[in-house]
Amino acid sequence: MNLNNLLPYKKQTLKSFFSFEFTTANVAMFLLSIALVTAMFYGIGVYLIEGHHAYGVTRQHAWGLLIAMYVFFVVSSTGLCIMSSIGHVFNIEAFKIIGKRAIVGAIIMILVGFSVIAFEIGHPVRMVIYNILTPGLTSAIWWMGTLYGMYLFFIILEFFFLNNNNHKYSTIFGLAGLVVGLAAHSNLGAVFGFLVARPFTNGPFFPLYFILSAMVTGSYLLFLMYGWRYKMKFPPEVETFLYTLAKVLGLLLAVLIFFEIWRMLTAIYGNMPERADVAMHTLSSANFLVGEVLLGMLIPFAIIIYSKGKAIKTLVYASITGMVGIFWMRYDLVHDTQLAHMMPLKIKEYAQTTPFVEYTPTLVEWMISLGALGLAVMMYYAADKFFDLDHKVEELH
Amino acid sequence: MARYGMALDYKSCINCKACESACKEENGILIGADKHRIWVGVPEMEGIFPDLSIGSSSYEPSQCQQCDNAPCQEVCPTNATYYDDNGVVRVNPEQCILCTYCMQACPYDARYIDDRTMTVDKCNFCSDTRLINGETTTACQATCPTKVRIFGDLDDPNSEISQVLRDREHYSLKTHLGTKPKLYYLT
Repeated sequence: MNLNNLLPYKKQTLKSFFSFEFTTANVAMFLLSIALVTAMFYGIGVYLIEGHHAYGVTRQHAWGLLIAMYVFFVVSSTGLCIMSSIGHVFNIEAFKIIGKRAIVGAIIMILVGFSVIAFEIGHPVRMVIYNILTPGLTSAIWWMGTLYGMYLFFIILEFFFLNNNNHKYSTIFGLAGLVVGLAAHSNLGAVFGFLVARPFTNGPFFPLYFILSAMVTGSYLLFLMYGWRYKMKFPPEVETFLYTLAKVLGLLLAVLIFFEIWRMLTAIYGNMPERADVAMHTLSSANFLVGEVLLGMLIPFAIIIYSKGKAIKTLVYASITGMVGIFWMRYDLVHDTQLAHMMPLKIKEYAQTTPFVEYTPTLVEWMISLGALGLAVMMYYAADKFFDLDHKVEELH
Repeated sequence: MARYGMALDYKSCINCKACESACKEENGILIGADKHRIWVGVPEMEGIFPDLSIGSSSYEPSQCQQCDNAPCQEVCPTNATYYDDNGVVRVNPEQCILCTYCMQACPYDARYIDDRTMTVDKCNFCSDTRLINGETTTACQATCPTKVRIFGDLDDPNSEISQVLRDREHYSLKTHLGTKPKLYYLT
């Protein structure tokens, strides 16, 4: 059987695979990716030797940077899936061009997310076995993991049929991927929302917020992917898409800001222990103020408002700050969940306990986490080489 | 089958840490894993020196609260955490994937990573070493010089723990979370 008949791909020699235009941006991205992936493999090597002792996690702060990064990647994946479905599942004209590129991005992001979490979960192989043999049906992690597995299966099929120009089946699997992806992703929010012991996180906020912030993340990533693809010289249909995307992103950011304001106000109001104090700590941290609010929300929002959604080239750059902000949203989510001491009495005799649980990621954690970004870029490069991810103008109408 | 619980006459605790030592010896806890499986909480004394409140200087021995409605069990994705026939919340290390979700969910910070098995472990009322042999004691209870700990079957109306819980006022920790702990602090 000829593979090319089953899944059309562009044949590559080793030389053609590694050849690219020698522009400053391309070479810089190439070197950065190599450096990041090298760092990731070094970090993984240290982890395989030392285990969790190579990380800065403690028993009070058992989830660290890798969990945040896993959330970052799977949110990105779901975001791309949701945004792409606007076009080829719900037939919104301007979004029809993004199908393949967004779905391949979603597949890459979730695969990279899984590869990051594999080095945080202590026994990933055992997880696969007992996930099936003794499923914990009351566990949000079980549902999240199982649904994300199904989601990956569906979006791979969606890409397969998109690549074969089979619109009927790509729409069916696109819809299945979207529904299962939304379920999986809200379950990821529920992993945090179900923690009755932690009042700052407990409640319905995170399952809802995760879907919203996934769409914001997907929008930022689409700006970055298309900005990079066309090197800021957009064809008319891409320009139309980006104008529409800018308006959608503006609306999403407005809702996100509204959500955040009310989350914080309800957290502080009444001065409830382990909730108000954690919220105040978050509100006074640079992670939140500079990372989440300024970089993640206000800068892109201000550009959209100021330019009435027309400054799409500036928004490509603002999407970089946006993604940095999204990273801090994930980091803060994980960190802030664990800020409050569960049993403050037992720390040490005759010594003042710290007001909050402290955590600093180690170099190994940074290497694996940021290195995974390089892995994502490399996989995207390979996908772009092997598959025709561009839309065809004649197929749009 | 029994439903084991523990009452703690905590005001008698002298913080000698015999319970911590006995627990470590009994369960093979590694050196360095201090205050992991069992611990004695030390509150700050109230008042300003020299007018310190002696009444506020009592210690609070603690460990896994053996909840009847354990959040750690509910969140476990592989059912590695389970209730045994005696109502004791236990961990099957063969099934634990070390996702540490239980450590996030436990309101009492009673779980820790056992570096021997690389799984999350906790107090199991000495089920593997004593209860399985028909003994109804725990290492921490048997060793306590001031008899802080009373261990027994809560379903047996004639057990010492049932009698003392009938006779004396007591409280449990974070009951507002609905965890239904089986550790009782006698006042």
